[in-house]
Amino acid sequence: MRTAAAIAAAVRAGEVTARSVAEQAIAALKADTHVAVTRVLEERALAEAAAVDATVARGDDPGPLAGVPYGVKDLFDVAGLSTTAGSAVRANATPATSDAEAIHRLQTAGAVLTCTLNMDEFAYGFATINATHGTTRNPHDPARLAGGSSGGSAAVVAAGLLPFALGSDTNGSIRVPASLCGLYGLKPAHASLPLEGTFPFAESFDDIGPFTASLEDMALVWGVLRGEPLTLAQGEIRIARLGGRFRENADPAQLAAIDAIAPDAPLLELPDIARARSAAFLITAYEGGHLHRATLAASALTYDPAVRDRLIAGALLPEELYAKAKAFRADFLSRLNTLIADFDVLLAPATPCTAPLIEDPRILIDGALSPARADLGIHTQPITFTALPALAVPLRRPGMLPLGLQLIGKPGGEGALLALAQRLESDELTGVTAPGRIVTGELT
Amino acid sequence: MAKRFKLPSVDPFLLWLVGTVVLASVLPARGAALTAFDMAADAAIVLLFFLHGAKLSREAILAGMGNWRLHLMTLAFTYALFPVLGLAAARVTGLVIDPSLAVGLLFLALLPSTVQSSIAFTAMAGGNVAAAVCSASLSNLLGIVLTPLLVTLFINSGGAGEMDGLGSVQKIATQLLLPFVAGHLLRPVIGKWIDKHKKLLQPVDRSSVLLVVYSAFSAAVANGVWQRVGPFDLGVLLLASSVILAIVIAVNGVAARLAGLPREDAIVLLFCGSKKSLVSGVPMAGALFAPAQVGMVILPLMIFHQLQLFVCAWLAGRYHAEAEAAAAALPPQGEAEALVRAEAIGLPIPEECRPGVTANLELLTRHAQTLEGDRDK
Repeated sequence: MRTAAAIAAAVRAGEVTARSVAEQAIAALKADTHVAVTRVLEERALAEAAAVDATVARGDDPGPLAGVPYGVKDLFDVAGLSTTAGSAVRANATPATSDAEAIHRLQTAGAVLTCTLNMDEFAYGFATINATHGTTRNPHDPARLAGGSSGGSAAVVAAGLLPFALGSDTNGSIRVPASLCGLYGLKPAHASLPLEGTFPFAESFDDIGPFTASLEDMALVWGVLRGEPLTLAQGEIRIARLGGRFRENADPAQLAAIDAIAPDAPLLELPDIARARSAAFLITAYEGGHLHRATLAASALTYDPAVRDRLIAGALLPEELYAKAKAFRADFLSRLNTLIADFDVLLAPATPCTAPLIEDPRILIDGALSPARADLGIHTQPITFTALPALAVPLRRPGMLPLGLQLIGKPGGEGALLALAQRLESDELTGVTAPGRIVTGELT
Repeated sequence: MAKRFKLPSVDPFLLWLVGTVVLASVLPARGAALTAFDMAADAAIVLLFFLHGAKLSREAILAGMGNWRLHLMTLAFTYALFPVLGLAAARVTGLVIDPSLAVGLLFLALLPSTVQSSIAFTAMAGGNVAAAVCSASLSNLLGIVLTPLLVTLFINSGGAGEMDGLGSVQKIATQLLLPFVAGHLLRPVIGKWIDKHKKLLQPVDRSSVLLVVYSAFSAAVANGVWQRVGPFDLGVLLLASSVILAIVIAVNGVAARLAGLPREDAIVLLFCGSKKSLVSGVPMAGALFAPAQVGMVILPLMIFHQLQLFVCAWLAGRYHAEAEAAAAALPPQGEAEALVRAEAIGLPIPEECRPGVTANLELLTRHAQTLEGDRDK
């Protein structure tokens, strides 16, 4: 699979046309077997590719992502299409009149939107088990979950169908599928990438971000979305390992990798981390429930039953509880800032385990089986609560199911995350491994 | 949703007490009348302890005994911390007020806890009522023996009182212990009737106390009590009572936290461990002190009694509001509550969603409890 950087370089140099890249991608997406793609946007993709080719032909600069095909999670506005957010409830919603801001920025940079991608209904889940489109399969083992809620976005990149895709992360919806599919996935510091034109879930935590198979692509896409190039941190990166709850319910390989990355780094215990996760859970339930209250009152039975019942329960939460969770968060954040002042990057597992089987979507938490849909985010949810940026990086373990770590940075510290990730990749501790199965239509 | 609690008004019984003191001051019983009143007061004391014995439920003590650590802590407050504070208060105030009043401060510190108000406040605050019944009853049961013993030990031996050893033992045995044991032994026969007619018996209870007070103050007035007690003395007593109560409540809070008591039990410790019984104290003083001294000795108790009612009612109100706020900050419990809440926010819940919604509310409740710090994970 070629990286976004390589495709853009080839298109800009006139070695390949954007149209041929788009046609290849469209063919691959149409042949997808992972239940990852919900709509192939052939007409739009070819038109965008033609515009890039015309720019190149004129001798103008088509932008840093010239001709690079990509897809977006089903909750980004695409002009002329209903933004379904993965739900039958919105299948016939009034079509969006314009693109989401993120899509607009990517288009300006020459990228070519090729498809919309599967997700948990209204992003409420960590599994991409979708009542309308089906369950997205993990390219490393199609019998397993891809993770969620941005599972479609992760699967197309892991399968090599596209070099990058956009997802959203409210409680771990980028980091969880990135970990299970063995990719890089970035959740930025809260609200630092444009959310305009995306269907919300829980406003306190909603963010968007890219999945990529290479760090170079991550920096490239980040620069376009952010509107400024990413500056990699130079010099020493002060690391701490997160202890306590983060070292329970983790795969031994993750702990071994964390200890190998920074054997002498202090073990930092964030106070009240279980309470933080619960507060995040409650705030999400309340905000999600309130967002959907009117629609639920009118047409509850159109929802996916599992999502519907979670949303209704959230809508019933008392304001006092929401206020209490928010107050706890304010206090937690002020304590956290003091605690992490001396570090640039914190290390933690991304998921508690490798991808669970679709047939039995349960995982072990504290020795008891619990639904993957709700608990795969046990390590990402408390980090969302901190509003800090977090980059999921895949452990290098060819021939085994993927597993990821979270590199957690300071606000505006994405440069340190990328710099450390590069070091880890060159030390061969982390890196993307292509799935064993060769997928038909892979970009070569 | 949480109601604001106003400070409690003055206890009507206190007005009766004050009225009786005023009556005894204006129209004290003298001569033969005083002797008659003394005898009537003695009879009232016997009756009171008979009723105390009959009302005490051994079953309640046995049923609540499991929480022995809590009961030991409560007893330690009533019979160890309070006496120490009482001794200190008597020593300090004895320098500026009448020695009999100072003895009264010590005496109140040696008394058992109240039963009725401790339980009522515990219930109001959302505490462990069963444990409060047990703790307060146990305190009263032990008080029958412990209080006279402590009085003999601290007040007699200190030479501040006017009791002779043998006489007081006799008096304790005949006026306190015997009627108490008799009442309690007759409980199988009269217990049910007494429990059923608590309201009917309350006036008997209270009028007996008033009779003792009248008799005591008549003797005290004859002894020139109001020449010896002025506003300054009352002010000192109020201050000393406040300091004692404040120290007890503060130590109580620290002890509950150190012992890791759950909220429900901490409330029991607070209300059972910080109270002193007027209905036990007045007749006990009548039995334990010389008639002329009784009025002076029970004066501090009457002041402390009203103060503890004020403070405990305020604390119980705060606990109640806290409990209400905590309940408001939990997701609806069970399908019925969910439907009520759904109705209130105009969100109908179709039949087929109800099991799933209830299950999700249970999950959210566990997270709410974790947020509260009630659950570790």
